[in-house]
Amino acid sequence: MDDNNTPLSTFLHENIENITTHTGESDDLIVRELRIGEGGVQTDIAIIYFDGLTEDNSVNQFIMEPLMNRRGARSDYSESDLLDRLKNSYLTVGQIYEVDSLEAAVSSLMNGSVVVIPDGYAQGFYLSMAGWEQRAVSEPANQTVIRGPKEAFTENIKVNSALVRRIIKDPNLVLKNRKIGNVTQTNVSIMYIVGLADETALKEVIRRLGMISTDAILESGYIEEYIQDEPYTIFPTVQNTERPDVVAASLLEGRIAILIDGTPHVLLVPALFVQFFQSAEDYYQRADISTLLRVLRYFGLFIATLVPSLYIAITTFQQEMLPTQLLVSLAAQREGVPFPAFVEALVMEATYEILREAGVRMPRAVGQAVSIVGTLVIGQAAVEAGVISASMIIVVSITAISGYVIPEFDMSIAVRITRFLFMGLAAVFGMFGVFIGIVLLMLHLSSLRSFGVPYMAPVGPFSFRDQKDVILRVPQPSMTTRPSMFGKINPLRQRRTKRKGRS
Amino acid sequence: MMIRSFFSMLIAASILLTVTGCWDRRELNELAISVGMGIDKLDGEYLVTVQVVQPGEVAAKKGGNVGSTSVTMFQAKGLTIFEAIRKMTAVSSRKIYAAHLRVVVLGEELAREGIGDALDLLYRDYELRTDFYLLVAKESTAAKVLDIMTPLETIPANKLFGSIQTSEKVWAPVTGVTLDTFISDIDSKGKNPVLSGIRVTGDEEKGTTKGNLEKIQPAAQLENSGLAVFRKDKLIGWLNTLESKGYNYIINNVKSTVGHIACPDGGRVAVEVIRSEAVMKSSVKNGLPKLSVNLHAEENIGEVQCQLDITKVEVIQELEQQASKTLVKIIKDTIRAAQNKYKTDFLGFGNVVHRSSPGAWKDLQSDWDEVFADTDVDVSATVNINRTGTVNNSFMKEAEE
Repeated sequence: MDDNNTPLSTFLHENIENITTHTGESDDLIVRELRIGEGGVQTDIAIIYFDGLTEDNSVNQFIMEPLMNRRGARSDYSESDLLDRLKNSYLTVGQIYEVDSLEAAVSSLMNGSVVVIPDGYAQGFYLSMAGWEQRAVSEPANQTVIRGPKEAFTENIKVNSALVRRIIKDPNLVLKNRKIGNVTQTNVSIMYIVGLADETALKEVIRRLGMISTDAILESGYIEEYIQDEPYTIFPTVQNTERPDVVAASLLEGRIAILIDGTPHVLLVPALFVQFFQSAEDYYQRADISTLLRVLRYFGLFIATLVPSLYIAITTFQQEMLPTQLLVSLAAQREGVPFPAFVEALVMEATYEILREAGVRMPRAVGQAVSIVGTLVIGQAAVEAGVISASMIIVVSITAISGYVIPEFDMSIAVRITRFLFMGLAAVFGMFGVFIGIVLLMLHLSSLRSFGVPYMAPVGPFSFRDQKDVILRVPQPSMTTRPSMFGKINPLRQRRTKRKGRS
Repeated sequence: MMIRSFFSMLIAASILLTVTGCWDRRELNELAISVGMGIDKLDGEYLVTVQVVQPGEVAAKKGGNVGSTSVTMFQAKGLTIFEAIRKMTAVSSRKIYAAHLRVVVLGEELAREGIGDALDLLYRDYELRTDFYLLVAKESTAAKVLDIMTPLETIPANKLFGSIQTSEKVWAPVTGVTLDTFISDIDSKGKNPVLSGIRVTGDEEKGTTKGNLEKIQPAAQLENSGLAVFRKDKLIGWLNTLESKGYNYIINNVKSTVGHIACPDGGRVAVEVIRSEAVMKSSVKNGLPKLSVNLHAEENIGEVQCQLDITKVEVIQELEQQASKTLVKIIKDTIRAAQNKYKTDFLGFGNVVHRSSPGAWKDLQSDWDEVFADTDVDVSATVNINRTGTVNNSFMKEAEE
């Protein structure tokens, strides 16, 4: 915003007029003029606020009432005295700030404050009384767990930061505010723990946020696209979550959280490849099952990326790789199928993607009808009509489901895209193409960075100590050190806990 | 400029990928998956028979042409096998795909003439794996063997392949010989190759129709029958079941088998060999080789048909003695067949000499088969009988007491 400050006038009506014109004479701007004092000196006072952004009750109770009911002491106070009294004895509100420029007054109005300006002073107050209809803290819609906290962020940044602070009660947890978006003036907060977060990463986050110059920030995705390291990749290098416990755990690992007003998604940086396979529940369940689930997720990654392409490659180029019995039964299913395997796979994958997209977008009421038609199309009719082979249905459905084993949706999107690339390679070059693809994929992943941290760490630059939370999830007492990827300032998480033995 | 070159690269790459096509792409339903191949000689030409799977029939649950067989057969003649196989497209709509070949059957007549030339294609062609079994059609032609319908396995070639594997594992007179071992045996100076034989028993004519499977006892069956002995690539004779078993004992290829021992007072005891280890040794003195085979076997008693008290240690020891004698006899018979009947070392003693006395082998290798025929082979066997099954003595004996 431009910084030309127009000082407030000493005439109240002038101030009111300026503010109304400055807000485009909007009809939801409420100006309440009243007179305080009795008998002797009386002063006009204007109370200005936007309808719906402020809590009406509070305005009535904590501003109007004290002002209008205070008729006592015969008023012969001086100018500064009135301001002083207003602030110190009349207005019973916690957050009260002085304001002396028109722009500041208007911008505070926009944030839901109430502006109080007395006549005859080139100064006023704004009182933070923002309060509007909002969603309550509810269960997370996407990142659900069976065991673990069931609260998720809301659209209100204040609620969100409070949710995190309620978990980490440490003075070193720091929150820094800023506004991004020339028009929307969206509140964006950076949260980190001093002494754990890496200084250079923190500076980098602040620098990149400072470089954003845009009209509007409506969702965390806007910020993510501005601050990610490598714009030309399908892999996410910024994590987002709607769970306060995930944010708290990340902060304790030395990562940095970016909260954005108006969205329940909080960004976490740096974000590494392996973290997209960690679910919050991994740490709430027992270590053994968590480890097995991790293995399952990486297996799911393998299936979701490669199975359709391997199927195409093997059935159209390297048939000798199949056991004879399997080859015969696959060949039997393909008898009479008019398309090459690649086209078959492409048709089915496209059908599935259409169904999925329709499932997300369509109105809830028609959901059932669509899914019944969808299952019939994929499941039976296509096979019975002899258009698609039954084995292809199996391949496509196991692939589709495996993609969602990955806990972070961003990563399963990336996997879906790579799947199509691999299918193309398999159709043209067979197994050779698939392996070339794998090599290229590995090279690409290894070349990525997230806020200076290699994307594939701790596997890429190998770190033995950090393997305790990659495929394995070692028991909590053994998690003695923090991940070294995010700075090594304070590596010790806990002293080795002595087990209570049978002494 | 940058953008232009980037886009021209992109277009070039996409043309490269799309226009060139996929030259060796074959869909599954464009393949004639051949699982068995037969080679015979007919009027100076090769007659090649290929057994091809009809996938729709093998995996049939519904649809398909009801009543058609699970495999079909293509035949073609040619001066070379390669030509003959390609010629099959005259009758087949699909190109023969041979990577999944399970067995190659050679007619006995062709085998006696020599099969070296016939096998070259199978060894040379990139499409074939060398893990299929080579079989000789005993007293028959390959075409006839591949023409028999088999029960249990809908694909006859799979039955041939499977019965060799299981028989080798639990009965022992069969040896599955793959193409690569056969060829390395031909090339080796110290061992001549053997192949398993296959024979059609019963009514050959009826065996070729689906009617063969419509009776509980099939009219014709395919039977593994002993080993065919080769000198280089020419068939010179057959081993009977016991000699074939002896062969497998000597080359240490017995995984499990069953034999019997005579009881002192009549009746027999059947024993199951569960472990068998043979050691072939040689030493050369004054240019003359000395050969020996030492066999150690572990056995279980499987069946008792006499009044022996097998709860007694002495009786078991006696049985062990008998068992080792039986084994020595089996092995000696096989060696006798090699030395006297065929005068051919198909047991691989030459390779043993080669390994233990490489210097002497240089002089011996040129006429090894003759030297071998005149060499004494020292045979010894030790047997441990470990277990007697779930009962001790025969219930007949118990009843008597």
